[in-house]
Amino acid sequence: MKLSSVVKLSTVGLSSALLLAACGNSSQESKSKTIQWQESANLPTLDVSKATDHVSAETLSNSNEGLLNSAKDSKVAPGVAESYKVSKDGKTYTFNLRHSKWSDGKPVTAKDFVYGWQRSVAPKTASQYSYLFDHVKNATEISQNKAPVSSLGVKADGDYKLVVTLSKPQSYFKYLVTMTPFFPQSESAVKKFGSAYGTNSSSMIYNGPFKVTGWTGTNDSWTLTRNKEYWNNKATKIDGVKFNVQKTPSTALNEYQSGKLDAIKLVGAQQVGQYKNSKEFHNEKTASTFYLELNQKKDPAFRNVNIRKALSLAINRQQFTKNTLGDGSLPAVGYVSPGLASLKGKDFTNDAYVKSGVDYNMAEAKKLWAKGLKEVGKKNLNVSLLSDDTAAGKNTTEYLQTQFEQLPGLKVTNQNLPFKSRLSRSQNGQFDMVVSAWNGDFPDPITFLTLFTSDNSYNNGKWKNAEYDKLVQNAEGQDANNTDKRWNDMVQAEKTLMNDQGIIPIYHQAQPYAINSRVQGVQFYPTGSGLDFRNASVK
Amino acid sequence: MVKYLAKRIFYLALTLFIVTTITFFLMKLMPGTPLTNQAKLSPTEQQLILQQYGLDKPVWQQYLSYLANAVHGNFGTSFQFSDQPVSYLISSRIGPSLLLGLQAMLIGVLLGIVLGALGAIKKNTWVDTSTTIISILGISIPSFVLAILLQYFFGLKLRAFPIAGWSGFAYTIMPTIALAVMPLAESARFVRTEMVDVLNSDYIELARAKGLGKLGIIYHHALRNSLIPLITIIGPLAVNIMTGSLVVENIFAIPGIGEQFVNSITTNDYPTIMGLTIVYCFMLCVVLLITDIVYGLVDPRIRITGKRD
Repeated sequence: MKLSSVVKLSTVGLSSALLLAACGNSSQESKSKTIQWQESANLPTLDVSKATDHVSAETLSNSNEGLLNSAKDSKVAPGVAESYKVSKDGKTYTFNLRHSKWSDGKPVTAKDFVYGWQRSVAPKTASQYSYLFDHVKNATEISQNKAPVSSLGVKADGDYKLVVTLSKPQSYFKYLVTMTPFFPQSESAVKKFGSAYGTNSSSMIYNGPFKVTGWTGTNDSWTLTRNKEYWNNKATKIDGVKFNVQKTPSTALNEYQSGKLDAIKLVGAQQVGQYKNSKEFHNEKTASTFYLELNQKKDPAFRNVNIRKALSLAINRQQFTKNTLGDGSLPAVGYVSPGLASLKGKDFTNDAYVKSGVDYNMAEAKKLWAKGLKEVGKKNLNVSLLSDDTAAGKNTTEYLQTQFEQLPGLKVTNQNLPFKSRLSRSQNGQFDMVVSAWNGDFPDPITFLTLFTSDNSYNNGKWKNAEYDKLVQNAEGQDANNTDKRWNDMVQAEKTLMNDQGIIPIYHQAQPYAINSRVQGVQFYPTGSGLDFRNASVK
Repeated sequence: MVKYLAKRIFYLALTLFIVTTITFFLMKLMPGTPLTNQAKLSPTEQQLILQQYGLDKPVWQQYLSYLANAVHGNFGTSFQFSDQPVSYLISSRIGPSLLLGLQAMLIGVLLGIVLGALGAIKKNTWVDTSTTIISILGISIPSFVLAILLQYFFGLKLRAFPIAGWSGFAYTIMPTIALAVMPLAESARFVRTEMVDVLNSDYIELARAKGLGKLGIIYHHALRNSLIPLITIIGPLAVNIMTGSLVVENIFAIPGIGEQFVNSITTNDYPTIMGLTIVYCFMLCVVLLITDIVYGLVDPRIRITGKRD
């Protein structure tokens, strides 16, 4: 081809292509009964035994269903189990299953639960959530290869009755069975799909309100499509939900404003500020607390309670969350996050509130600081402050540095590292002060409180308190079947932690969304799956 | 030529080997394992998981088996996507990246040639000035800034093109433009300078004296000769497009390998990072090899080992 014709052709081709494209897009997608939802990360797996991340959990808890479902106000609703009974000693759970079907038309039976649970616990599966089964009889032995999988404390009594035996009572077991590793799995499906099981949407079967379609295993979108075989299909009001992976927050916002997406996560102070006063703004609570750990093993000064208290009192949490973070986060009211659990209508954080543990009082802080320094025989302190290298992480260290250096003689050096590096340094005790975060697994305060018992592997600061250990032990042991006593144990434990300032809570993270007002009834939970489309509707 | 090719392919293999080795050991130095709940797993379970990924063996053994597998295109299993082979991740995502890259390259270079030639022919007029301004802007504005601007104005405000995603030709336009601007600007500047030179040379004068028409001279003599050196910058331009695609794919949510690369880094998915590094390195080497060969073919004066007897 001659050069001249190449130039001509390409010019004509290009301009016509541009024109065509401009025309082609003018027809907007018609408003259907499918919700367009933004997801900020890819879907790693549909294998219920292997899912550990929030994207898998959000998809699977709508496409599959366990014995019970999460419900509002840390309650549970019937799932595949119509009803259940707990024995007096709290160790035997009997679930009565309804007649329901898999998406391939086969019945969901008690055997599917037995098989699914055994698969989640079997070391061969290498499920990273197998520890959630630790109260089920023999589960720990099985995961250590010391007992056969068939000895797991779960048995089918006929097709529609499931009997679970626990090794010790666990009052929050009802929450655990709403989580993905406890979902039923069809042995024939697992065998049929083999190594492809759960790696794409057609190599999986579903028993929830929706089926997953259009997921190749690596692509950026997939759809929850109404499952006609679902036992409560008549209650489903939408055709489906399309998840669109959109990792760039500004692009997500553009797509939301153009109407292509119905819901997006708002990221950062600017986006939150833009929607804060809008009807489309939903700031959803998550069971998440960011707190400061002081390394008592490395720095003897941190063993002094006055020094720990001084640091806590130097933080103005209101000002920090409102002006510095501005991303919807809430000032810490304690260690356990608010809205997680309640008893008799009263939130745990109200019962266990210790004002001095999360208060701001610079004058008092300076007083305690001077007193503490004297007690440990020091004039000044040079410490490092470790956190993530995210925007929020940097904001946090900068703010804390400014506040802490108002205490005479304290010099703080900031270190912001990538998440996994930060984590490995925390676990190896290579830090002076570290900003850590915890997300609760289920709506019971114990999901937070077990972290700071003396020998827990997440207790990076090595704070030790015999009374605290005993209270947590009682809640998990002798008082496990006594709701009031157990609650009181946990309240006292939280108070002990705060009064001794074992850790310094900073803020509770929230998840702000912008959701188009045509979408109604999407339910958010602070733990577990987080997202429920069972009652969602579109206008 | 055959000898030259063999030598180049040997160097290509050597480069790949060195890159693979360095990346492998760098990755080993970084913290992080496929274990997400390390503290809560029993030692038996940790051992089993590490075994599944082959991480229980000594590092040198891991390295050797990695090399052996990589030669066969097997880059191991992703840490992030459970049970998903890295080679499948890459193969299912490379299509959009290649399409965008080629489109951007073609459009960028072709338009660049047109602009550059116009600038040279109409030297020191407003045409020249405006093409120069366009190319300076194109070189100085990073592709991701342009991407965000395009997305905001043409996507959101004018609704001319889809904001992001990947389902048809319309979705490729804005990312292509964002990626094409750099090669466009570079080649426009290059062609203009070359052509101004060529237009002043004696053989053009001769052609004019022979009575050839102005257009004929430009097409047959001036443009052709000024294009030969352009081939040398195609390689670096391809590099530019590849690195630019890392960010641009993310902004436009293109399910390509650039987006996957960035994503794998943030999730510490080492096998995927390794696999993609090798693939990127391979593509780069191939592009450079091809440009060198084409250069030799087009311009007989420059044969790299072209000693003729």
